[in-house]
Amino acid sequence: MVPLSALPTTDTCLGVIANPVSARDIRRVVANASNLQITDRVNIVLRLLQAARAAGVGRALLMPDRGGIRALLERHLKRGDASLPQIDWLDMEPTSTVEDTFTATRLLQRAGVAAIVVLGGDGTHRAVVRELHAAGSGLPIAGLSTGTNNAFPEMREPTITGLATGLYAAGRIPPHEALLPNKLVEVRIDDGNGASRHDVAIVDAVITHDRSVGARALWKTGSLAAAYLAFCEPEAIGLSSIGALLQPVGRRERGGLAVQIAVAPADALTLLHAPIAPGLVLPVPIAGWQRMAPDEPLPVQQRAGTVALDGERELSFEPGQRVSVTLREGAFRTLDVARCMAVAARDGLLRTSPHP
Amino acid sequence: MAGNPFPQSKEQLLQAYRTMRTIREFEERLHIDFGRGDIPGFVHLYAGEEAAGTGIMMHLGDGDRIASTHRGHGHCIAKGVDVVAMMKEIYGRKGGACEGKGGSMHIADLDKGMMGANGILGAGAPLACGAALAARFRGKGEVAISFVGDGASNQGTFLESLNLAAVWNLPAIFVVENNGYAESTSRDYGVAVDSYVDRAAGFGLPGVTVDGTDFFAVHEAAGEIIARARKGGGPALLECKMVRFHGHFEGDAQTYRAPGENEHNREHNDCLKKFSAAVSSAGVLTADELKAIDHEVLGLIERAVTEAKAAPQPTAADLLTDVYVKY
Repeated sequence: MVPLSALPTTDTCLGVIANPVSARDIRRVVANASNLQITDRVNIVLRLLQAARAAGVGRALLMPDRGGIRALLERHLKRGDASLPQIDWLDMEPTSTVEDTFTATRLLQRAGVAAIVVLGGDGTHRAVVRELHAAGSGLPIAGLSTGTNNAFPEMREPTITGLATGLYAAGRIPPHEALLPNKLVEVRIDDGNGASRHDVAIVDAVITHDRSVGARALWKTGSLAAAYLAFCEPEAIGLSSIGALLQPVGRRERGGLAVQIAVAPADALTLLHAPIAPGLVLPVPIAGWQRMAPDEPLPVQQRAGTVALDGERELSFEPGQRVSVTLREGAFRTLDVARCMAVAARDGLLRTSPHP
Repeated sequence: MAGNPFPQSKEQLLQAYRTMRTIREFEERLHIDFGRGDIPGFVHLYAGEEAAGTGIMMHLGDGDRIASTHRGHGHCIAKGVDVVAMMKEIYGRKGGACEGKGGSMHIADLDKGMMGANGILGAGAPLACGAALAARFRGKGEVAISFVGDGASNQGTFLESLNLAAVWNLPAIFVVENNGYAESTSRDYGVAVDSYVDRAAGFGLPGVTVDGTDFFAVHEAAGEIIARARKGGGPALLECKMVRFHGHFEGDAQTYRAPGENEHNREHNDCLKKFSAAVSSAGVLTADELKAIDHEVLGLIERAVTEAKAAPQPTAADLLTDVYVKY
């Protein structure tokens, strides 16, 4: 038996939102995208919680689901595992929709957790951020990518994310060293009757010519009209690559990027070949692009269509309804895992005396 | 109004609505007639699940085969089986799709590529593999589709079929109609890993999950999967998350449901309401056009019931007809 290695346990509580249904969309068929199985998602949760416990986290509060994560995790817990913090489930009835993520985020804020670890793709992270942003909450999130088309969450061994988050949650790393501010794109649709709809994208808000959200995932470049990007990094996969390969904008860099897409190649300034989904490097006719200044609403020219938020068509709009987008800086906070681990090394946070 | 914003033509949207409405009215009428004791045997109603069968079947022709389930009326209608012949079959009358000798769970119409409803859970998947193998030999780009419920997806036949289809790279598509209950058992109790996409992945098949109450989501995903299979891309799995409005069978007291669950589903998860709202708000189909279809469908169902009740029952002399086939 490997001896348990843990720093003194605190009563701090960590929130975990693990989405069982991310990476289940049509990209499995049209783009050979991969599928992270439920059993592997459970293994990820276990590894991050074991590491968080080792860093001093005494309790974890998890989102329940009907997708198999809770069922398999409870099967594991019945066997007894002293390497884990105390695990409790949020008191909510799962609906197996994105509503679960919204509800869980609200309940975790109310429960006073120190941070939320999110397992999922850009869409799951967007859902968490949408709730935090709406509440004006500074609660930090640590993201783990379980999808294939993600620009926002990092692909990282969950043990390290668990350690870094645990050290922060247990108060061993101060916020000014552990956390980073992030940008997002606010989307507003004025319905023309005095009512308006609001949503956010944490990477890309893309306007399409489609008027139905269909199978939600967006992979046909022919339907693209414009892209509004909070950041775009050339090494990233997905729709933000359209901007990234024209004019990269870093996550912490001021401003964003707006890209107009031509209806036909003949009308285009340039034809960009962009990796818009796993395995899909497709031509995108570019009409133009410019930087987005923060806090300045940009009107969307398209008269009717859908707004895709972080890769999935979410909102449709009709003629007479007006869409605008606004880049916001410092909108939410994420855990800087690399920095946390560097601080842990610098300050010897994971060292204890060999002579108890 | 800036034209039709949907990927489907107006004619296709009308067809989709007509098919879904026909299934709904067919099933709601059976619910009433079965309660009156007019219908022999058991019926399992597809009401609430119409968008899945319709969204998938609109991509198929008569040469494409489907293997259905015990809850097969919707599949039959969407595949083009004659509604009057179906009603006669369910009433057990001559002139039915199987001359009144099969009933609800054995409706078949090979000319339409409908290989049969099936009272044996999970039995359709191997049939679809056989049909898909035949389609591959014919070389016309035809496909075969097996429908299975979330409960029957636990059957060995289903899992063996996923394996066979993958090994032989068959143009077979496995549709899991996940309405949350295996008869009366919630999937929470009966499925070890509640992801059918994961099951497909275990056999090397791509899988997709869609909202089965959203016609547009089903139609788009099914279109990609079927087109891929036609081109030799191989088998795939499509999970449609959906709700059924009635019990497992007619007469089911449904004590396993939460209070108000059915009412909630009819209010918020009705695929016909969602479809109507989408096409109306986009201005593609008018309320009058939808009402005209409603009226036409109700007339069709009424005629089907009238003709079924008037048709004679099979006689003892019919017992062995259509049972054996000479090769």
